[in-house]
Amino acid sequence: MCGIVGYSGHRRASEVLMEGLKRLEYRGYDSAGVAIVEDGRLVLLKKQGELEVLQKALPKFEGRTGIGHTRWATCGRPSDRNAHPFVSCDGKLAIVHNGIIENYTALRERLESEGHHFTSETDTEVVVHLMETHYTGDLRQALADTTREIQGTYAIAAVLEGSLEVAAARKENPLVVGLGVKENFLASDVTALLSYTNQVLYIRDGETVSLTPKGVTVFDQDGAIVKRETSVVTWSAEDAQKGGFEHFMLKEIFEGPNAIHNTLLGALDLIENGDVIPRMDFSSVKLVACGSSFHAAMVGKYAMEEFAGIPTTLELASEYRYSPGTREAPLVILITQSGETADTLAAAREARRRGCRTLAVTNVVGSTITREVDEVLYTKAGPEIGVAATKTFLTQLLAMYMLAIRIGYANGTLSHDAMRSALSSLRQSSNMVQSVLNHMHEIEEASKMIDESEHCFFIGRNINYPTMLEGALKLKEISYIHAEGFAAGELKHGPLALLDSKTPVIAVAIKGDHTYEKMLANISEVAARDSPVLGVGLEGDTDLSRLCERMIYVPPVKPVFSPIPVTVALQALSYYVAKRRGCSIDKPKNLAKSVTVE
Amino acid sequence: MKAVILAAGEGTRLRPFTVSRPKVMIPIGNRPILEYVVRALAANGITEIILVVGYMKERIMSFFGNGSRFGVKISYSIQEKQLGTAHATLAVRSQIKDDFILVAGDNIIDAQVIADLLNHKGGLAMLVTDSEIPSKYGVVQIESGQVVDIIEKPDKKVGNIINTGIYRLPPTIFDHLEKGIMAGKSGITHVLHSCMPRLKVDAVRSTGRWMDAVYPWDLIRLNEYAFSLSGQETSGTIESGVTMRGPVYVGAGTRIRAGCYIEGPVSIGEGCEIGPYVTIFPTTSIGNGVHIAPYTYINNSMIMNNVSIGSHAHISRAVIDDGCRIMTGFSAPSGLAQVRVEDDFFKVEKAGSMVGEFTQIGPQVVLSAGTIIGANSRVGDGAKVSGTLENRSLVV
Repeated sequence: MCGIVGYSGHRRASEVLMEGLKRLEYRGYDSAGVAIVEDGRLVLLKKQGELEVLQKALPKFEGRTGIGHTRWATCGRPSDRNAHPFVSCDGKLAIVHNGIIENYTALRERLESEGHHFTSETDTEVVVHLMETHYTGDLRQALADTTREIQGTYAIAAVLEGSLEVAAARKENPLVVGLGVKENFLASDVTALLSYTNQVLYIRDGETVSLTPKGVTVFDQDGAIVKRETSVVTWSAEDAQKGGFEHFMLKEIFEGPNAIHNTLLGALDLIENGDVIPRMDFSSVKLVACGSSFHAAMVGKYAMEEFAGIPTTLELASEYRYSPGTREAPLVILITQSGETADTLAAAREARRRGCRTLAVTNVVGSTITREVDEVLYTKAGPEIGVAATKTFLTQLLAMYMLAIRIGYANGTLSHDAMRSALSSLRQSSNMVQSVLNHMHEIEEASKMIDESEHCFFIGRNINYPTMLEGALKLKEISYIHAEGFAAGELKHGPLALLDSKTPVIAVAIKGDHTYEKMLANISEVAARDSPVLGVGLEGDTDLSRLCERMIYVPPVKPVFSPIPVTVALQALSYYVAKRRGCSIDKPKNLAKSVTVE
Repeated sequence: MKAVILAAGEGTRLRPFTVSRPKVMIPIGNRPILEYVVRALAANGITEIILVVGYMKERIMSFFGNGSRFGVKISYSIQEKQLGTAHATLAVRSQIKDDFILVAGDNIIDAQVIADLLNHKGGLAMLVTDSEIPSKYGVVQIESGQVVDIIEKPDKKVGNIINTGIYRLPPTIFDHLEKGIMAGKSGITHVLHSCMPRLKVDAVRSTGRWMDAVYPWDLIRLNEYAFSLSGQETSGTIESGVTMRGPVYVGAGTRIRAGCYIEGPVSIGEGCEIGPYVTIFPTTSIGNGVHIAPYTYINNSMIMNNVSIGSHAHISRAVIDDGCRIMTGFSAPSGLAQVRVEDDFFKVEKAGSMVGEFTQIGPQVVLSAGTIIGANSRVGDGAKVSGTLENRSLVV
């Protein structure tokens, strides 16, 4: 997972590229580099470390054409040597790459035997040497010919000595072109372009593209020119600034109520009118996702069974792809915030190959997944910059509930009245979240219970079991505390042995849930091992607070919808723990926002 | 010219509506008070705004962001402790090089108010206006266009021209503020007053609108006024058999079901579900995500976000805050009432009821005119309530 940018126009390329790379930093940041056509000659600068290291070392290049890269190591460890761009042996060509070249070992052996000299340990470097062998005067053609020889996934951008052209190619990795006046841009993500233009072209799999200051031409696999319509992006670069908040993560947590409101606004009518999932031609549901989205899917399973009584299975996208498949075709629901998650995209293709109906839940209009599935339900959380998913996760939960309610009504489990009443409860959720946010200082206080621990457990039952898995994921993601989530009933099958007075346990118990009494019993077991317990429960629940050292309260809520406020409380808890520990909250080490490698 | 907006205070006299938001974020006509101020500045071409925030600052920051939605650039200055307006203003010193406008964020103003101040030629100026209740404010004595005295909250009648808390100030003011604070003065007015004979303060009479809410029942009056400011439109789904007269604004995703009778000015937010057979009279604002069940009557009220109101309710001149859940048969008429706020009693005509956020009200509850129920309270089935109740009250 990396970020790439390209520019051809009238400004100093180095400035445009650095600005773009800054916006792409969330995609990875263990090294970065640029290649610029300076006075007709190719100049190169690459540095290990955060982008600032490169910025400091960058001389004032005048060139108006260039490419840039921010890297998140997949093949070859982080170092100056392994940073992109890479140049050909003759020094005339430079490329940057996002993705994985699967057959690079064989290609490298061949190229080395032909006399090519390699300078790095990366898979990417074969691309530039291959291009060198194919180059006969047309940069884009050389790139197109090269892509025929490589297996794997890629978004590649290339520049050539003495030329104003930037050529690029894409397969299963995001690539978008920004259109300006006498200038054109290229990037892995629209956020890198928004400072300059909101007119974009999405490049599709197998296509190549050529950019010059004068224009942009897109070619299909066979080399024919493709007419591509311009899309207009309605986000602005300012949408993605911190607006007074200390971190993007905190800002995005506070945007939760609005994200929920917008998501419901776009979808409630579709659900009530039956425009989503118009036909019930399936008798089971399969939810497929990765990472945090997988936790949303787990909540979805409980919701599907509660509202629709429909058999629902869950699968990690990276496993589903290689699973044997079943006799009956379920409705496959794929959840990916970015719409670009490589494993989830592959799962979508596999589901269609198996003849399943597919529905995607995503936050990005026009993303790749929207072209791979039969139906799309958008979460309208707006751009999320912090690497830790916060408001987008919340809106994924909303999407799960809405789909469950829709299927429940369509298959006759819910009456019209019951459907309306369930949707009406969903409407309350934005305020539920606001109410948690109004008591942030209490959560900040509670974070003192955890910030010095080495280990931390999260326990819950029923629909709040996945909530706690997500709580644990969030904590380890940004605070680097080792955190594990467990179904509370599983504690006595092993994990109880790990508890002691230095291992805090965060336990959720929602009064009114049919597992509430069981949770209280589990919390007593934990407290008996001297573990400090941080309880999460409804306001005024003294039965719970009596068992816990501290409490985080959420407003009164029907148990089935309780993951919504509980999630926000746990996101905030992780935030404050990480802040107390002085962690790099918006850019945790070794992580990237959307994972476009498999 | 830059503008500095003071928005750090809570506004305690408007409790319970400030338990989780500062006064500037109370919605009037479905928009925060502060939005009127920002728009009035933007309309006069003032696009660089510094917001001094403190109490519940995240509510402000997450709504206004960096200001691009309003065509302005907003930066934030955080006043952790509310030590007064002089202190708050001094905090932005490093960001100010030229004359600037200082505005209180908690009054509704129109663009004319700012225009009057900008058109005034000269240096330090204070914007003044006529008031029907001067005893709540600083009454200003003016001689040949200059402020000669300010009498804070006078007990007896000394005039009806008051200080609006809007100023045009030169950067040299910061030295005065610094000295004033050292001498124990916390408010801008106190500092100006103490420097008065030497420091010339011009009085600018505004021809625009300046409105303030001091007590909860003032919100209804402001709400009536707010509708005269905004041009409005209708989207959402209006089922057939709905009667709408006068200006009625309906937000996206809202569904008005058959048989509703709505007489404007009325503003209904996004994603609401109203009816069937609900009657709404002017001037009423209803926030986002509100659900109102059949046969309910609402008159001249403010219903904020995500409120749910059961069937057969009667609601008049009421303010109902975010997330309240009200069951069937709720009765909240308006009338003459004696109302307590902090430790003072007020005789209020046509007083409605005030309900704080996330309060749950059981079926068949009756509130007497002028009842104030605190936030997060619970009122049990069939209760009859009057007077002023604290937050988290339990009525059985």
